[in-house]
Amino acid sequence: MAVLDVSNLRYYYRTRRGAVKAVDDVSFSIDAGTTLALVGESGCGKTSTATALLRLLPRNVDTYEGQILLDGEDVKQFSNEEFRKKVRWRGISMVFQGAMNALSPTTRCGVQIAEPLMVHYESSSEEAFASAKEELKKVGLPEYVADRYPHELSGGMKQRVVIAMALVMKPRLVILDEPTSALDVMTQANIINLLKQLQKETGLAYLFITHDLGLASELANDVAIMYAGRIVEIGRASNVYSSPGHPYTQKLIQSVPRLRSEEAPEFIPGAPPDLTSVPLGCRFHPRCAFAFEPCGWSSSEIGAILSREAPGLEIEEVYLANVLKYEATDPWKLVLWPSKGVAVSDLASSLRELVESRRSSVPFLRGIEKIEERDSRVLVKIHPGQMPELMGEADLRAACWLLQEGGKATATK
Amino acid sequence: MALPEAPGSNPEGEYPIVQLDSLRMWFPLGGSLFRKSVPVKAVDDVSLAIYRGETLSVVGESGSGKTTLGRTVLRLLEPTGGRLLYDGMDITHAWESDLKWLRRKAGFIPQDPYSSVNSTFPIYRVLEEPLAVQRIGLRDERTERISKALENVKLIPSEFFAQKFPHQLSGGQRQRVAVARAMILEPEFIVADEPVSMLDASVRISILRLLRQLQEKFRISFLYITHDLATARHFSSRIGIMYAGRVAELGPVGSVLGQPLHPYTQALMEAVPDPDPENRLRDRPALPGEPPSLTSPPSGCRFHPRCPIAKMGLCDVVEPELRELRPDHFVACHLAA
Repeated sequence: MAVLDVSNLRYYYRTRRGAVKAVDDVSFSIDAGTTLALVGESGCGKTSTATALLRLLPRNVDTYEGQILLDGEDVKQFSNEEFRKKVRWRGISMVFQGAMNALSPTTRCGVQIAEPLMVHYESSSEEAFASAKEELKKVGLPEYVADRYPHELSGGMKQRVVIAMALVMKPRLVILDEPTSALDVMTQANIINLLKQLQKETGLAYLFITHDLGLASELANDVAIMYAGRIVEIGRASNVYSSPGHPYTQKLIQSVPRLRSEEAPEFIPGAPPDLTSVPLGCRFHPRCAFAFEPCGWSSSEIGAILSREAPGLEIEEVYLANVLKYEATDPWKLVLWPSKGVAVSDLASSLRELVESRRSSVPFLRGIEKIEERDSRVLVKIHPGQMPELMGEADLRAACWLLQEGGKATATK
Repeated sequence: MALPEAPGSNPEGEYPIVQLDSLRMWFPLGGSLFRKSVPVKAVDDVSLAIYRGETLSVVGESGSGKTTLGRTVLRLLEPTGGRLLYDGMDITHAWESDLKWLRRKAGFIPQDPYSSVNSTFPIYRVLEEPLAVQRIGLRDERTERISKALENVKLIPSEFFAQKFPHQLSGGQRQRVAVARAMILEPEFIVADEPVSMLDASVRISILRLLRQLQEKFRISFLYITHDLATARHFSSRIGIMYAGRVAELGPVGSVLGQPLHPYTQALMEAVPDPDPENRLRDRPALPGEPPSLTSPPSGCRFHPRCPIAKMGLCDVVEPELRELRPDHFVACHLAA
């Protein structure tokens, strides 16, 4: 049975620029003794998913909903006090990113590990300290480390102390947020081996957050790829690595430089979107080479590219001369005004020409459905897009319109 | 003046742009009126050469001395021993005031794009500063150079980015600004110290690609300092592996990473996973222990306490010299063959 079963988790927070949709309708489950790797670029909501699971919410939280089943029990319904007592650290614990640099410099490591025992179980300090030493042994450190201060330890040892802290309450699930990103490769390999061994011995489940697909493959039974607050692909690790369905996953895999292959790594042009104003339709479409009609091109996107207002994307630059201004009030309708002295028919025909000649290589042109001349302006009708849901078998599901029947054929047409 | 022999190929029969000859950078640690200081041997007897238009990667764990090496090569530090030649000229102990030409010819790309630029400066001022220090050009010429530099790093349209402040840019864009800043004086040599380690995987590749393009366009030599063997493999021509302040192995990338000769290089490579779901099923081979302290490095070969094949009586006594075992491929190990 699944240790953790999350469905439709949403977590937005308010900022001056509007709600940040950090986690938007995310569902996954993790079985005992297995690892789910949550992979994506920074700013895609990976860490927010973790903090939402632990209910470590900031004051400006806007939306926090969904179902979180821990061993079949809906912990989302718990009161804050109940959640703190029963779930945090006892059910789910976490190794935070850079936690080894957040150890208290003035407190001995043993005390820092023992602290949750004293708080949760009201153990005496001697008992708790003894358990802390036990825990240190399990993570491969000698007992005397309990009496040391963090500055006396190396990076790898500090990371082991942090892992011991996460394990001391015997949780069912440990969230590992980039647990090795600040470490050297050799130390990283040692820590990964430790995590494997601990999982084998205790049947722990891990939620492993990383942006490194190579590292993810060290632990992952399952992989979830996150983009702009949503899971765009999820499945068995073997399937995700060998036959990824989503173009984002494909690109992500191609972007990993390999030590044992001549194949040159590729990069994904552009950057993940601002989570206060995510693109309509599939959120990846502005960076996707395969994006086609249903992917959700909107009038503001197309207007900005055509009038050369969207700088910084390293994709092929295509723009229309002679656009005075554009109006994009309706997402699927774009209005263009020609510059002074340029006939409307000329603007329309140059756009038609552009669409015809470059449609196969420039994805956004595929979003244009119809071009009409109206009085002093050009009306551009755009294919209405929709957000794709996860499709496919349980072993590998991806949220991409290409996977719909005939999708690929239409896209390459 | 006869030049000392330094390991490395010399493809076009010209001076290497930078040459290190038994270069030493020791820092004094502790020490007071009554107590002698202990040297931290951050860079110890390193000899290598960097040729025009090539990228030499220096790879090592933290504390291996690779960053100190980069800073010493740029004469941001004065070496405590050995010789440092730039374009055949001895600059080991040159006065800082005589090195203004070097500051123009050699650039630096730092690791952290967030803290390396003045956050109160708009981008054009960030880029103008080196020009102002070197007293190059007047306003119009500077503006032109700034917009050209921004276009070179693909921050287009340049007028748009020149007005921005660093916090308005993404990490990748900020690192592009750092590259543009290093490029603005049109240098012939750039030290890039972990230029991409703080960026996302895909952004990393785009920055490294950019450096490669700039290298081809302007024939710049790079010293690429990194801990990441995989990017070193794809973005450099030669590679040097550093361990505890010394060069363990040096040679063409294909040769060093194709058939590593030093047991440390072999171990380092094995510790790096390529994406493969099979990885889950086995432990990753990793050396126990940590790199040694640089104040009292182990006797003999500095790697011997962690070395799986060390021979006592030899490796813990005699310090191995770099030997050329394959064409242009040098290794400092008694047992490598």
